[in-house]
Amino acid sequence: MLTNLLLFTFFQQPAAPPADTMRSRPLDAIVVTATRTERQVGSLPMPVTVVGKTQIQQSGSLRLNDILREQTGLTIVSDHGQGLQIQGFAPDYTLILVDGEPLIGRTAGTLDLNRLTAGNIKQIEVVKGPSSSLYGSEALAGVVNIITESPTRTQGSVSARYGANRTSDLTADVALRQGKTNLYLFGNRYASAGYDLTPETYGNTISPFTNYTGSGRLTSQLTNRVKLTLTGRYFAESQTANAQLTDQQIVLGTGKVNEYTINPVVTHQVSDAWKLMYRYYRSGYRTSSDLRYQTTGVDYDASYFRQTFNRPELVVERMIRSRHFLTLGVGYIGESVAATRYPGRQVFSTRYSFAQFEWVPTRRLTVIAGGRYDNHSQYASQFSPKLSARYEVSPTIALRASSGVGFKAPDFRQLYLNFDNGVVGYSVFGTQELAAGIARLQQQGQIAEILADPARFGNIRAESSMAYNLGIAANFQQKYNLPLLLSVNLFRNDVRDLIETQVVAQKTNGQNVFSYTNLNRVYTQGAEVDGSYRLTVGAGRLVVSAGYQYLDARDKSVVDAIRAGQVFRRNPETLVTEQVKMADYGGLLNRSRHMANLKFFYELPRHGISASVRGIYRSRYGFSDRNGNLILDVDNEYVPGYVTWHLTAAKTIRQLTVQAGVDNLTGYTNPQNIPTLAGRLWYVSLRWNWQQRAETQLNSL
Amino acid sequence: MKLIANLTLLALSAALLTACSKDENAVTTQPVQSVTVRDLAADPTSTTAVSTTASNGTAVQPLPATGKYTLYSLRDNKVIANTDSASNKWDIGFRSTSIIVNGGAIRSGQGGANVYTGTFDALTAIPTSTTFAQDQSPTQLAVPSGSGNGWYNYSSTTNLVSAIPGRVLLLRTGDGTKYAKLEILSYYLGAPASPTSTTPSRYFTFRYTYQPNGSMTLN
Repeated sequence: MLTNLLLFTFFQQPAAPPADTMRSRPLDAIVVTATRTERQVGSLPMPVTVVGKTQIQQSGSLRLNDILREQTGLTIVSDHGQGLQIQGFAPDYTLILVDGEPLIGRTAGTLDLNRLTAGNIKQIEVVKGPSSSLYGSEALAGVVNIITESPTRTQGSVSARYGANRTSDLTADVALRQGKTNLYLFGNRYASAGYDLTPETYGNTISPFTNYTGSGRLTSQLTNRVKLTLTGRYFAESQTANAQLTDQQIVLGTGKVNEYTINPVVTHQVSDAWKLMYRYYRSGYRTSSDLRYQTTGVDYDASYFRQTFNRPELVVERMIRSRHFLTLGVGYIGESVAATRYPGRQVFSTRYSFAQFEWVPTRRLTVIAGGRYDNHSQYASQFSPKLSARYEVSPTIALRASSGVGFKAPDFRQLYLNFDNGVVGYSVFGTQELAAGIARLQQQGQIAEILADPARFGNIRAESSMAYNLGIAANFQQKYNLPLLLSVNLFRNDVRDLIETQVVAQKTNGQNVFSYTNLNRVYTQGAEVDGSYRLTVGAGRLVVSAGYQYLDARDKSVVDAIRAGQVFRRNPETLVTEQVKMADYGGLLNRSRHMANLKFFYELPRHGISASVRGIYRSRYGFSDRNGNLILDVDNEYVPGYVTWHLTAAKTIRQLTVQAGVDNLTGYTNPQNIPTLAGRLWYVSLRWNWQQRAETQLNSL
Repeated sequence: MKLIANLTLLALSAALLTACSKDENAVTTQPVQSVTVRDLAADPTSTTAVSTTASNGTAVQPLPATGKYTLYSLRDNKVIANTDSASNKWDIGFRSTSIIVNGGAIRSGQGGANVYTGTFDALTAIPTSTTFAQDQSPTQLAVPSGSGNGWYNYSSTTNLVSAIPGRVLLLRTGDGTKYAKLEILSYYLGAPASPTSTTPSRYFTFRYTYQPNGSMTLN
């Protein structure tokens, strides 16, 4: 959030960040997400992953999900859009920010990361562990903050890319500077013909689509102490939709997504010690789809979803004795949603305030304590504290620990959804709509059988977690002159009242009626190891990085039941029943126990050559129960593990860069379980960069 | 209805019963045997596929269900006619996922049931502490209805009903004098290892052990 303000070179930096021996190291990026203040990533007491523009470009990533899936401990999972799994949490539990402001449009919980082009990303910051103490609801598993470009000199670029599946990407941007005012404009068009992994069935696996992103930012230093930033973004997508109904009839149509954001920020540096920020953010998100019968053109299903989000916020920063930092904030969120699937227009509001104190008693120790109080219009108030500390044992080794509370309020969907899927035939009701929905279906004679008591769904509670992260980071540069970075992080999240979909009834058409319920007591725990080593190879340099995450995510009630000898399984062939042992329990579905990556980035600057080889591994993960005990415990309940390899090579001649690449080199696919994994994809791209020389820039425009 | 039930081991069971009746004075020396009943139809809705004419969009039309329970006698190992529902000839009844026993306010018999957690084979006797529930009302049955409550789980991802492994029904017979244990093995025709949502359902395959001597020992 502060990046767009603070990263300008001419900005008067009030004071140096806390004393930090790692500051001179080139690998240590500046991040803002973890503390809402500008800090070097190595100096933070919580685990933060930073991905810079160079890595995004060298990886040939087009969309946000492309680059995030390659980071240690992160994986992309699909559920009505491609979202991020962090520390074993589903995508709903990670807050996605662009320049510090939240993205909206979680029609079914997942915020589709495919919506975000990588073209204007300057840096991606991923904070693992709860950050509700600063950001409130949704920041339970972590926070992803996309920092967009904000150049301070006149420059421009145009790039074009074409590849398999007739996927094309056109990107252009221009930055202008005059005096103390900067203007940045960005445009992107992304289109694909989609693909079909199952030609034997009707319809594409991924249907053809085209989308456009436009964004702009105006920054102006109004006076010595006051700066204005105005940012806006617009996104529009159109995708072909088609489906074959159970009666063989075909319905066709178009699905549209539109999104905009407006974000004016005034920063007032009152004095060296005081800073005020007035922020306002508004976002609107809408989708619509219109399906019609192919033969007759008669309306089959038309739907829409409209969400708005308004947030004024005031943040005060106070520096105390040039060492300690106090951050205070207060704000209001007004949200609304109207959709074919919700009755009427539903409104939420939240009043919140937060405080964070960064205490730096000695050069080696940093302690950050903070908390946030959220007062919801629909729910009991939430208080989310967090305490973290970092201690530098030696110039090489630092220890860090953090503990905090995260929460996620039930969303619109979980409360108010009233949805009958016309194509497949299932129904989903929010908890507040369930009783009426079931009654209506019963009246229509659509309910074959009630499978769970609807009254039980009654009052859904906010989900919350208590998290612990303990890490050690080693940087061998200063003392051993070795360009080696190593870090280990251990994590544990104890989650209460996790909200999951649950079947309430079976319909006469064989499909289900779903609602949402609190699934008590889940935990995720694990370890993450990350390392990178920079070495010289000939005239070039090679960066080798590797990462690994071990994850253990379990339902505590299942663990208790297995321990009590109450869980059994039946061999489907012999029909013989046996007791399930703890070692057989595979934990929560869709979680891989092992995830790893190995990446090589090579650069030969003198010849303008760069190349990368990246391998991403995900071990097997559960997708559904097959032997009647509803838990993951036998081999055929897993999706097999897999590796994908990705290659790029690029050559830069003056202002022109040519890049070629192959994604998923081995062409691994699993149409049934991983439809979003296309086969082998090649591409070529051309990028032209232009930059005005620094000494003449004041005369530009 | 194409097929009602494929009852196997009937002969075996009959032989067993004759053997028992011959040895009236050797009370518990004769081990009781477990019997497997296959594909007992429990009011299936769709037994034959109506021929599909894709051109005008007519698909498989399920046949209407009768709404009646298939009643079963454990002693005789056979289906009891529904006209005898108001007698104590039957012990247990099946209709889709609902299971009834012949005992309680809405039944005429003296039966009862208890949903026991454990394996069928390891259960050598009905625990003396067992309380037998009865069918008090259509919504308050001895074997609770609903996914996860009684004998089955329903999976939303696969759309399948599966008998919960490790659930054994401890039964008191309709005449209130004998005991048995019963394990549901499958809800699908032919008890396939991997049923799909199109596999004909409401066909029970189960095994049970009936103790004809009135004791609670089951081996």
